[in-house]
Amino acid sequence: MPDATLSPWTMSYFAVACVFLVIGQGLMAAGYGYPFAGVDAPETLALAHLLAIGWLGLLMIGALLQFVPVLIAAPLRAGRLAPSVLLLIVGGLLLLAGGFAALGGAEGLDGLSPGMLPLGAFLLVTGFGLAAAMLASTLLSARALPLPARFVGLGLAALTATILIGAAFAAVLSGIVASDLLATLLLHGVPFHAALGLGGWLSFTAIGVSYRLLPMFMLAPEKVSGAARTVWWTGATALVLVAASVAVVFLDAEAAKTLLALPLVLAFVAVSFYCVDLVRLYRERKRKVVELNIRASYAAFAALLAAVVLISIPATRAAAGEGAAALVYLFAFGWLTGLGLAQLYKIVPFLTWLECYGPILGRIAVPRVQDLVNEGRANFWFGLYYGAVTAATASLFAGSLPSFRVAVAAQLAATLGLMAELVRARRLSSVKGAGVPKPRLFLPLSRPQE
Amino acid sequence: MNPAPRDINVRELDVRPILSSGGEPFQAIMEVVSALEPGEALRLYAPFRPQPLFKVMAGRGFDHEAREIEGGDWEVLFTPQPTSAAVELSDDAEDPETWPDPVEHLDLTELDPPKPMVRILAAAERLEPGEVLFALLSREPIFLFPELTKRGHQWAGNFDETRTAFRIFVRVGKARG
Repeated sequence: MPDATLSPWTMSYFAVACVFLVIGQGLMAAGYGYPFAGVDAPETLALAHLLAIGWLGLLMIGALLQFVPVLIAAPLRAGRLAPSVLLLIVGGLLLLAGGFAALGGAEGLDGLSPGMLPLGAFLLVTGFGLAAAMLASTLLSARALPLPARFVGLGLAALTATILIGAAFAAVLSGIVASDLLATLLLHGVPFHAALGLGGWLSFTAIGVSYRLLPMFMLAPEKVSGAARTVWWTGATALVLVAASVAVVFLDAEAAKTLLALPLVLAFVAVSFYCVDLVRLYRERKRKVVELNIRASYAAFAALLAAVVLISIPATRAAAGEGAAALVYLFAFGWLTGLGLAQLYKIVPFLTWLECYGPILGRIAVPRVQDLVNEGRANFWFGLYYGAVTAATASLFAGSLPSFRVAVAAQLAATLGLMAELVRARRLSSVKGAGVPKPRLFLPLSRPQE
Repeated sequence: MNPAPRDINVRELDVRPILSSGGEPFQAIMEVVSALEPGEALRLYAPFRPQPLFKVMAGRGFDHEAREIEGGDWEVLFTPQPTSAAVELSDDAEDPETWPDPVEHLDLTELDPPKPMVRILAAAERLEPGEVLFALLSREPIFLFPELTKRGHQWAGNFDETRTAFRIFVRVGKARG
């Protein structure tokens, strides 16, 4: 029998993820990491992982725990592992960040040491490995995988590749493994690690999820278009090529870097078709007035297109600084974080509504989902957020450190504003005469789901 | 010309020009087949009876109906086999075919979630135990299923052939937990 219940730990994942987003933006506003240090400086690596694993990774796993069963109408496998996975990932991330900080000269401070890197990597491999196993075995239990689920499946494969490469880096950096082969990987493999993580795992999964959520909330037809198939094939080919290029690194590192040009072209094609499809979905929608979460998502799609177009043009790629940092910033904050915040703004009220009012639906009048939020205020925060991301990206292009800090501070303020809105939704603050017990803010569901 | 069954959309492909110019039509045929929407049929014209294709198409879920037309050419109509998705049942739903006719019909295809769920649960509250309601939705209401079960209602539902609408019967239970 197909059914989906509320994922008891999803809110906990979301809450921890939000804390890491605040920490990461706070560190940048305080002048920590790039552009105040080099792109490959240990401080930047600590910061990048706090955001990529702590914020984006936990957000995505938390969302998938709820979403994968919905996608294939089958219960989650081994769901009881969810709290252990959360602890493993958070513990591993803190060790990893501490190890990087130690490499950056904070050694001796509070007992930080580079030896924390492999231990952190071990916990992260275990945590993400278990998460990928839970989600993949759930996907495999489906009779047939719809296209969005295939995107998620490939995203999980990219996640596995990303963490394994990262674990190899950690082993070399900490000095516990002295292998020429792995040292070569560390010297040349960072772009692959980043491409698999941000492009493969996070973006591919997000695209898959969007293919299900957007038609649902805009009331657009859910048919699989030719464009969606093109996105799948070009994107999947790009990912396989990136993964294959990692092996080439061992043979000829320069050739491997040249090989990255082809997946970049394919990614450009995939994103172009994705954007064409997004416009089609918007045009074919039956719901004339779309909600804020959809408008904020389309701002994230615009950031994705801008980042991919600008990184494909050699002149703008060169102007974006070391490792195209300004464009990576736009990709991480405009596209991934923007979409993440936009979807949180829908998912948190929706799940809260279901948790609180599900048992009494139909028996007495209950508020609508949108009664749990105040779109006017959130509209302001989303506007501020995207404005700040644009300003921060422009500051990185211009190499202006003071204006970058101001922009990140504004971005942080907007994020905090949105999080306050999410807390208000959880607390049913906007609902008059609630009449139901308030849910727990981020701890597992108080009402057992059978 | 073979009549198209019901009112389904039929695409046409004539591979005679490809063959007469010495080309190999298989790829062109498969491209058209891959581009068919769910429920769409394909009418193929060929200079011979394309026997090997029948098996390939059967593997893809198409029946065929071939007939010779003038000039010794052949016309084949490939129609999708009726593939209504399997009926999903709540654990306690025995023999839904013996349920009484629905007393209430709801078309909820134009509503965004979670409104369909609210409407079905509210309708179920209005009915007497044993009565049945029917609802049409644009997607599978998987958050609704556990809520129906908790309230002691039985249900049976499936997607239509094009997988664009989900049909569900709900029989109201006695236990109003």
